[in-house]
Amino acid sequence: MHSTGYCQAVEKAGGIEVPRRARYIRTIVLELERIQSHLLWLGIAAHIIGFDTVLMQAWRIREPVMWLCEKITGNRKLYGINVVGGVRRDIPKAMHPELMEVLGRIERETKAVLDAVVTDTTLLARLANVGILPNKDASAYSLLGPTARGSGVAIDIRVDHPYAAYGEVETNVMVETSEDIWARTVVRIKETLDSIRIIRDCLAMMPGGPLQAKITEPIPPGRIGQSSVEAPRGETHHYVITGEDNRPYRWKARAPTFQNLQGVPIMVLGETIADVPIALGSIDPCFSCTERLETVDVRSGEVKVYTKADLFRLCKERWSKR
Amino acid sequence: MFRAKFKEAVICFSNPRVTLPYPFGPGAELPEGFRGKITVDQTRCIACGGCANVCPSRLIRFYDEGERTRMEFILDRCTYCGRCAEVCPEQAITMTLEFENSTDHKEDLYIEQELYMATCARCGRCFETENAIDKIPVRRHREGRNFVGPSMPHGGPRPRQRE
Repeated sequence: MHSTGYCQAVEKAGGIEVPRRARYIRTIVLELERIQSHLLWLGIAAHIIGFDTVLMQAWRIREPVMWLCEKITGNRKLYGINVVGGVRRDIPKAMHPELMEVLGRIERETKAVLDAVVTDTTLLARLANVGILPNKDASAYSLLGPTARGSGVAIDIRVDHPYAAYGEVETNVMVETSEDIWARTVVRIKETLDSIRIIRDCLAMMPGGPLQAKITEPIPPGRIGQSSVEAPRGETHHYVITGEDNRPYRWKARAPTFQNLQGVPIMVLGETIADVPIALGSIDPCFSCTERLETVDVRSGEVKVYTKADLFRLCKERWSKR
Repeated sequence: MFRAKFKEAVICFSNPRVTLPYPFGPGAELPEGFRGKITVDQTRCIACGGCANVCPSRLIRFYDEGERTRMEFILDRCTYCGRCAEVCPEQAITMTLEFENSTDHKEDLYIEQELYMATCARCGRCFETENAIDKIPVRRHREGRNFVGPSMPHGGPRPRQRE
């Protein structure tokens, strides 16, 4: 996800044209990542509300995707498939049947689990009409990804500003209007099923050609490149200024969690304490993607904001003690 | 509601156990292209520095010490991207299937090797040395019949240094 964003930013800065086959492979890997991320989230969300059956089943369904990614890219996570100018590994024709088989299995099993849980009143009691995020607040706070789409805001970088092969493959924006946590869950499950369809389309339309663009000259310094990628959690933006010796001079990545966290206070307003974890969990938070931390001492009421530098210093102190 | 619970029970019972008794039994099979710990074949390395140039976490370091080139691989910083293995022109660096690399001694994840570079200090070109040992026909680098070989008996990890 981030490697695609970074590579696209550098490619834009250097004016590098990525081969069509590489863009399709990037799309397939991005969608595989979305499938495994959404299934992981489904398990975590179920675990937060104490429904561990779904946790176990969702993670069982997810595991073949990880194995598939391991086979395609060489690792379960941190795929490292992207390189500036293309991709590093091919998805050969011999791998297509296996991919299709795994996708079919995931689709079947996800639908089976979905079919079982949609009528489960215990689950709906915890998720429906809980953590309401009104549509106008979702737009006002610029929330992203499934969090915003669950509140009826139809934004999706894949459709709004197509990258990789999304301009050529049909991509649907999944929008739910019930504004609660159940809506965010449904958006994610629908996106999982849509991702499976996108991968199938990509495999069917996969063009031939080279995997990497030939880069003969160094990328000139001082160029600016920006790219946006739809991560499973929302939009990810990468901004690069190129420097000397083919190295970046400045690079800024913005992950969606910091933006989505702004919506949590609205979600938990007037709710019970027990609903706070699942409301926070419904944005699929990644706290390592945020860069500052505020702590409140409940006894003295003292508020302290830890910046990135403070957190870095604390980490160093903690590790130097060992 | 009971129908939902029944369906969930059916899903749970119809799927066998999928977890493996990993640390006590064999784990999952690794695919062919798995990116594990890197290994460095000293006899093939030509000290071109390509790996150090592309390494994103800068764990490969080159020290040009006159006629010797010293290389450091600080593997505790490795992100297993495999870029070094990809750019190596002599296939000296390869990714193994080894993934159980956790250790409580950082020294275990440190590789140091030295290569004797028969290169003219003035013009930078390689030249033929008079030393008989240097003429042993092993893998050459650059032009000329210069010898590249390990000057250390083994380039593996340093011996453990326990208190």
